[in-house]
Amino acid sequence: MASATPSDFEAQLRPWWDRAQAGDEAAYRHALTLIAGRLRSFLRRRLAQQPDEVEDLVQEVLLSLHLHRGSYDATVPVSAWVQAIARHRLIDHWRRAGLRQHESFDELLEQAVLAEPVDEGAGAHEARRDLSQLLERLPMAQRRAIELTKLLGLNGAEAAEHLGSSEAAIKVQVHRGLKRLAALVGK
Amino acid sequence: MRTDELIARLSDGAGAAPPPEEARRLLPALLLGLPAALLLVLALMEPLPVAAVATATPWIKELPALLLGLLAFAWLRRASRPASDSAPLRRAVLGAWGLLVLVGLGSLMGAPVVEWPDRLLGQSWWSCPLLLAGISLPILLLLLLRGRGLPVADARRAGAGMGLLAACLGAMAYALACPESSPAFVALWYSAGLLLSMTLGAWLGARLLRW
Repeated sequence: MASATPSDFEAQLRPWWDRAQAGDEAAYRHALTLIAGRLRSFLRRRLAQQPDEVEDLVQEVLLSLHLHRGSYDATVPVSAWVQAIARHRLIDHWRRAGLRQHESFDELLEQAVLAEPVDEGAGAHEARRDLSQLLERLPMAQRRAIELTKLLGLNGAEAAEHLGSSEAAIKVQVHRGLKRLAALVGK
Repeated sequence: MRTDELIARLSDGAGAAPPPEEARRLLPALLLGLPAALLLVLALMEPLPVAAVATATPWIKELPALLLGLLAFAWLRRASRPASDSAPLRRAVLGAWGLLVLVGLGSLMGAPVVEWPDRLLGQSWWSCPLLLAGISLPILLLLLLRGRGLPVADARRAGAGMGLLAACLGAMAYALACPESSPAFVALWYSAGLLLSMTLGAWLGARLLRW
């Protein structure tokens, strides 16, 4: 199920969700179960360093979905609606975690930089360690923007929320940071 | 609690999805806020004579404010629905506003240049934006209070939208006492008042509209 494409998942979920919205409680239960499974893999990727927190966050998202059922607009895909809410809860989570445990957030980033994907060789590992050193040479604003968007995979709006900035400002910082990185590696 | 237990609890007795709640939440804020704004106008200013209704003076503010307010409300509703695309409505709001400003300033074209300072500054250019934003403040606060918990994508932007909506209604109240008759004045200084209210709304929204 986790490996189904987004449109496959939507095709699977939508009929259950529609019946659930109409009042079919068994359909609602099934829809939430499908969503929970999908959420789990979505969140596991983004909380790689805090696997204990994944299930808590899955439950938080499910609660939000339930609370805001009325905000679902039938003209958008259910999974898009779910993902928007999940992202919001994730940003909330990071905001809280960032305030209380700065180190764990930086660990998360370090892992993202140094993580050795299965198919890459040792060369890629070296490159990523070099990357983290290069990033440290960037001005803070550019570095944070690149870390959040390129390494953690947040989109512009999410990164902007997390940094208390605007999407346009984030784009500028990413652009400048990448230019500076390119200059640093002598391109 | 395990997740499957949570799911069972949520679905047990869940019934059908409730209707969207933006209107239910926000309309009372407007219904309560508008009379409050009217009271402020009467307390702070001299209302226009009833005969003014026959002139253009109130209408060059009432009609644009109504149009912009309706668009702002429509945008706010769309922005309260996760994953719904509110960009077209946002463009409509900004486009309508821009057009109204152009038309208002364009009224200068038909007038001799020597009149332009008077038409642009009127008698109350510095107090107008402040009064407008001030009169709209109760409406903005009510919108923020009632709107807390709406699943807005961007709290700051939603707050700005509430500021705009509040100021449009505030402008409709303010127009009952505002003697300025130059469309160019309205384009400039009422817009300044709207922007003031939006800035305050954005600042407050970023802090209050968490969900």
